[in-house]
Amino acid sequence: MPRRAAAGAPARLVTLFFLGLTAIVAAGVSAAALRRPVVADRAFALLVSAGCVLGAVPAVQVLAGAGPLRARFGTWDFGIDLLSAAFLLVVLGPGLASAWYGHRALGEDHERPVGAARSLFALELAALALVVTARGVVPFLVAWEVMAVLAYFLVIFESERAEVRRAGLVYLVATHAGTLALIALFAVWAGPTGGLSFDALAARAAVLPAGGALILWLALLGFGLKAGIVPLHFWLPEAHASAPSHVSALMSGVVIKMGIYGLFRVVTLLGTPPAWWGWLVLALGIVSGVLGVLWALAQHDLKRLLAYHSVENIGIILMGLGAGALGISYGIPLVAALGFAGAILHTLNHALFKSLLFLGAGATVHATGTRALDRLGGLARRMPLTWVAFLVGSVAIVGLPPLNGFVSEWLVYQALLGGGTGGGPIRLTLIGVAGLALIGGLALACFAKVCGIVFLGNARSADAEHGHEAPRGLLGPMFGLVAGCVLIGLVPMLAVRPALAVGAAVARVPAAVAGNGVIEALTPIALLSVGLLALLWIGSAALAAVRRGRPITEAETWGCGYALPNARMQYTASSFAAPLLATYGPLGGVHEKRSPGSYHSHAHELVLEGVILPAWEAVRGVLWRLRPIQHGRLWVYLLYIIAVLLLLLLYIGVAGGTAGVSP
Amino acid sequence: MTAWTLAGLGAMLALAPLLPGVAAKTKALLTGRRGAPVWQPYRDLLRLWRKGAVYSTTTTWMFRLAPVAGVVTPMLAALLLPLDGRAAVVRFSGDFVAFAGLLALGRFLLVLAALDTGSSFEGMGASRDAAFASLVEPALFLGFVVLALGTDQRSLSGMIGGDVGGRLSWGAGAPSLAMVAVSLFFVLLAESSRVPVDDPATHLELTMIHEVAVLDHSGPDLALLLYGGALRMGLFAALPVGMLVSRSGLAAPLALVALLVGTVAVGVVVGVVESSMARLRLNRVPQFLVAASVLASLGVILQLLS
Amino acid sequence: MGHLADLLLLLVLLSGFLILGTTRLTTCIRGVALQGGLLGLLPLALQPLPQWSAHTLGLAAGTILVKAIVLPWFLTWAIREAAVRREVEPRVGYIASMALGIVAVAAASAVATRLPVPGEHPILLLATSLSCVIMGLLVLATRAKALIQVVGYLMLENGIYVFGLTSVDRVPFLVEIGVLLDIFVGVFIMGIVVFHINREFDSLDSARLTELKD
Repeated sequence: MPRRAAAGAPARLVTLFFLGLTAIVAAGVSAAALRRPVVADRAFALLVSAGCVLGAVPAVQVLAGAGPLRARFGTWDFGIDLLSAAFLLVVLGPGLASAWYGHRALGEDHERPVGAARSLFALELAALALVVTARGVVPFLVAWEVMAVLAYFLVIFESERAEVRRAGLVYLVATHAGTLALIALFAVWAGPTGGLSFDALAARAAVLPAGGALILWLALLGFGLKAGIVPLHFWLPEAHASAPSHVSALMSGVVIKMGIYGLFRVVTLLGTPPAWWGWLVLALGIVSGVLGVLWALAQHDLKRLLAYHSVENIGIILMGLGAGALGISYGIPLVAALGFAGAILHTLNHALFKSLLFLGAGATVHATGTRALDRLGGLARRMPLTWVAFLVGSVAIVGLPPLNGFVSEWLVYQALLGGGTGGGPIRLTLIGVAGLALIGGLALACFAKVCGIVFLGNARSADAEHGHEAPRGLLGPMFGLVAGCVLIGLVPMLAVRPALAVGAAVARVPAAVAGNGVIEALTPIALLSVGLLALLWIGSAALAAVRRGRPITEAETWGCGYALPNARMQYTASSFAAPLLATYGPLGGVHEKRSPGSYHSHAHELVLEGVILPAWEAVRGVLWRLRPIQHGRLWVYLLYIIAVLLLLLLYIGVAGGTAGVSP
Repeated sequence: MTAWTLAGLGAMLALAPLLPGVAAKTKALLTGRRGAPVWQPYRDLLRLWRKGAVYSTTTTWMFRLAPVAGVVTPMLAALLLPLDGRAAVVRFSGDFVAFAGLLALGRFLLVLAALDTGSSFEGMGASRDAAFASLVEPALFLGFVVLALGTDQRSLSGMIGGDVGGRLSWGAGAPSLAMVAVSLFFVLLAESSRVPVDDPATHLELTMIHEVAVLDHSGPDLALLLYGGALRMGLFAALPVGMLVSRSGLAAPLALVALLVGTVAVGVVVGVVESSMARLRLNRVPQFLVAASVLASLGVILQLLS
Repeated sequence: MGHLADLLLLLVLLSGFLILGTTRLTTCIRGVALQGGLLGLLPLALQPLPQWSAHTLGLAAGTILVKAIVLPWFLTWAIREAAVRREVEPRVGYIASMALGIVAVAAASAVATRLPVPGEHPILLLATSLSCVIMGLLVLATRAKALIQVVGYLMLENGIYVFGLTSVDRVPFLVEIGVLLDIFVGVFIMGIVVFHINREFDSLDSARLTELKD
């Protein structure tokens, strides 16, 4: 129990939060400890649901204006302010859906350690919740590391496959490089004698050299590796594609958002970031967004494609974050609040629809046994409900009305345009408008490709012909997420007001300033969205009525005079993307092999396969040459130790002679 | 919102099919033919509407939804445009994002409907449609940016309507606005599948873009798609015309008339372009579309300089 | 001075984009001819009608003659002689070139607002001048065909010409010398490049110049 907490309602909320956390941990323990499958199943489902709901209550209360909550265990501080509350909802909402899905999907696996996987998943949720509520360096880093390591074990669940192990290894190396950067960040920030609570860090913000330039760079490195900012995204596609689908959903929807949380937290603690950092974040956002969606277009693998879209959406979030940081730097509070609010809302939205898409992809892979786009097709008839869920996720991620993606992208547009109509250099944020428009256009093409190739047309292989609808246990979580997407799309006030409150808090401006000109627009947006759905419904019904009175013929698709069309002649994912990628040349990363009678194209991961692996090979080449010093003879190793000892003594002797060594 | 606003909306919905007719007539006259009357599209629509339809056994509800979306989305987008030259039915800060988003949704569903048939020809058209649309989007938004900078307004009514907020200053901003007008005209050509991006009169499936994407639609479905296409064309024609009309400061009925006349004039210009140049090779189309973005970017730079 | 000059400068920029974005040699040449003609009109547009001097008129006429008529004609002739009808294969694609071009214009505009050039000049004049120079360099660097490189060189020259217009009052004949240089260098380059490369290598591909090493 928290030793010190504010009195009254906040204390109850703090208790509620930790109760929820305890329930989630208990779910993890029960999954690992309980032997009888039926009991273990029920206990896990009940505890995880109760935990997420209980934990979300304080977050909702804080967003509704209950004020920040604090709790302290010894020297470890925890707290929920507006920012933490927003990210807590990101963790617990989509996280619960993924947990449910995973719970059901794992139930059919009889070969692998299912109990352990469930247990780890619940503990991962708890670690995520602690990351966003930690208020000190030590609890934050501990939670961060637990989260990273648990995610590794979750990713390598199907560890009998070599590519899964490889993806896990790359992930592990990348995440630890990130953790190192974070340790360096906090070490530099806290200084030799400083306190390790976030409050102490905030107090030191003013005395940091060069406005905390080093810290801001380290934050981009450490948190950027987690978030998957180009070019630090190299670990992401394979790890997210190789993991079981509910883990992919959690990783893509929630875990990478911890990088975004970290950047936000650094901004709140640091106060006013320098302008160059805002520009850098905005530029990284545009680059990640455009390249992410471009690389997604080039993919042939359903889950890899979705993973690259996470890179794209992190880019959009960064564009909002960058615009917000620039708003602070150049003293335009409206832009700051709108940018941050857009980034926060897009974080939540992306968690909803990306989890949904990964769960949908999981159901597809489960039904057909393949992730290869060009082996799928025609699944809309065989899995109609999964198709509807996936379509909703697609429309949402492309940022089209009437769903939630549109609302958050609209906010980001507002921020970028607000910068453009301000004075001075901040007007260059207008580049972001063009970037975001291009990202939108490309994302539309990409999801037209995924939906069309996977779900429409005819089955391209026997795998796809055997597709069948996902069981209810898998559809439930998906439609929970669908409800979230639709709700935020049709009733944007629900989400935009809290997001603006968070944005205003991060920007340190009154919430009234942030809502200026934006709140009034929400009602027409809601009306347009509802009107759109209503008109589509009415129009379809009317057209159906018209058709009833007409001679209707069913026939094969018109083959333009060709008599024997077959399913393999349909447009493929590669051919659909070809004209788009041709425009961007080598940036797309597509390598083609042609020979008479065959054509093969491969989508390269430009950073991993183009830079990091060659660099690694070079380093290994150098190290290989150092191998002769390792003979395997014990006496030689003892000589090495003696040599090192002598060198050390020599050094102390010399250094002591000049500078003096304290006895 | 006044009665004139609704009248403008009604006129757009009723007269949109005239635009392709005017373009076709202009083209015919310029190439020395008599051509079909300008109201030929209405006849086509009526004829198709009365017919039965053939549906492929491969298709699903998506194929049947797309024609409805093809009409509903531009209709809703029309609510956001000041079609009486003064103010729109619905206006809010950032409504241009919704305008583009609604039209994009229509295109998304159309592309899916094309893929729904499982035909490689329609897949080809869908792929090209999506590819070219992705390049049009930045040009459109950069155009909106210039209008927003020129008027310090965030809604389409403020940007190109005469009633709300600051009017476009055609004085010092003229070069920049001219760039945008040309860029928006390029966008119109691409969005309504006209020469030099696409040729509505071509008869070879391999060279088609939009036509081949709707190849399997027939009867009432095709009628809706054609009407929706005409409506899209009308909206994109009204954008640059609105820039001029808002400057004129005409009173309500006159502004409406000016906007309609201007929109029809755009149809004539489209016809002139079609009869004076050939369509571009497919791999050159992106260059044309990027040129639209370049023009709009120049407009932005000029706005920022002034 | 005023809108007309702005419009001409804008068209100069657009002709630059035409050259960056086109695939055909003839369009390239037409683009640079158009640019030359516009530059010829520019001195007239920069001064109000009553202040036109014989010097201004001569400058305009000379520029148009050289930049819009003689050099383009010469280039067209060279194309016919060398039978280069093939389209150009750039090292950097057309779309990328255009994108780089717009970045160049943006950067040039940003610099132009801060450049300490004496006298009252429209910012666009400086911006256009710098943009033309960068676009010319871009064409020189990225196009393989020697003839297109001549076009790039001419664009670069045009940029310097525009810059010269800012100090035409203080440094008389600066622009004229530039035009003369044009003739000299244009003829020189064309003579050397066209005849030499054509004779030695049967080709106008400057990439083949690397074969000159032993």
